[in-house]
Amino acid sequence: MTTFSDMQLDALRELANIGSGNAGTALGSMLGKSVDISVPTAAALPLAEAVAIAGEPDELRYGVVVPIVGDFEAIVVLLFPEADAQKLCGIYGIEPSTPDGCSMLGEVGNILGTNYINVLAQMVGMELEPEPPQVVEDMLGSILSSVLIGRGDDVEEALILDSDLLVEDENCSLSFLLLPNHGGIKELLGRLGL
Amino acid sequence: METVVRMGEASASRTAGDTLACIGLGSCIGLALVDRAKGVAALAHVMLPETTQPDPPQPHKFADLAVPSLIAMAVAQGASRVRLEACLVGGAAMFSFGGSGQDIGQRNDHAVTKLLDEHRIPVRATATGGSKGRTIRVSVGADITITVREAGGIEEHLLGAVAAGKAALV
Repeated sequence: MTTFSDMQLDALRELANIGSGNAGTALGSMLGKSVDISVPTAAALPLAEAVAIAGEPDELRYGVVVPIVGDFEAIVVLLFPEADAQKLCGIYGIEPSTPDGCSMLGEVGNILGTNYINVLAQMVGMELEPEPPQVVEDMLGSILSSVLIGRGDDVEEALILDSDLLVEDENCSLSFLLLPNHGGIKELLGRLGL
Repeated sequence: METVVRMGEASASRTAGDTLACIGLGSCIGLALVDRAKGVAALAHVMLPETTQPDPPQPHKFADLAVPSLIAMAVAQGASRVRLEACLVGGAAMFSFGGSGQDIGQRNDHAVTKLLDEHRIPVRATATGGSKGRTIRVSVGADITITVREAGGIEEHLLGAVAAGKAALV
């Protein structure tokens, strides 16, 4: 029932690769550490299955959500297991559960999200802008399901571009998801001539 | 056996020992209907207040279709229509995405509550609103129990069997 062809998914995966590469470099220079990025996956999944892409629905995660507005609407979601959030905040000697820690995680979301979408925007000639990040600690299922239906749109399937980032030395990993809204993705593919 | 009811799905059971669960509800609603005398329970994972298209592939996504359908599922398992009772969990506002008016969690909550009222099904307990995700579990049997657990919290009873000295079954 997927509405995307293999070729379209390949193109999106390549965009995700370039976007997350740029984002990882930016995070690396902020932290002064090298950041590795996995080969991203691009998948169009029924909503019920989309939640499972990042783990068990009742696992606790720190989630940073950065809404993207402009010519193309999307939501960037970063997911950190608690231990990894602690390691990342620990670089600056703070705890993730404190206001400073939330602010730090939000800033990581800001930097990753902004650098990711800036490359996309340049490549396809769109105006894109991030909104302020929102940080929560909650169940994975709650975070993802709320994001997927966040604007109250009815969608049958979710397109998920998923990259894993690994901060070396700290052995700290996080999932970076880009969830474009449906109209936006058609526009994006249109500009790529697909 | 535990049946996990995922987004837009529904399930019903009258088999003692079965569990129905919606895990990690955010702005969605976990709607449980039970006939405690018959030991029948049904659970739907509702995502949106209203249908947006005719004859959608997943009717339980929408409150307006999920409520009548869930009633029929419970009745098909042997529940009596007039003995049905409801519990609602979820409808949190975890994020604000701009947009207009009420958040989607609250709209889901209102839509389901209104429909239950129209179908004259009493709501016995709710754990809705707020900003935290929740999990609902319905244990089927002669003594149906419904529990809710907030993210990072402990399991609390919403309905049934908090018999003398028996606290929450964590």
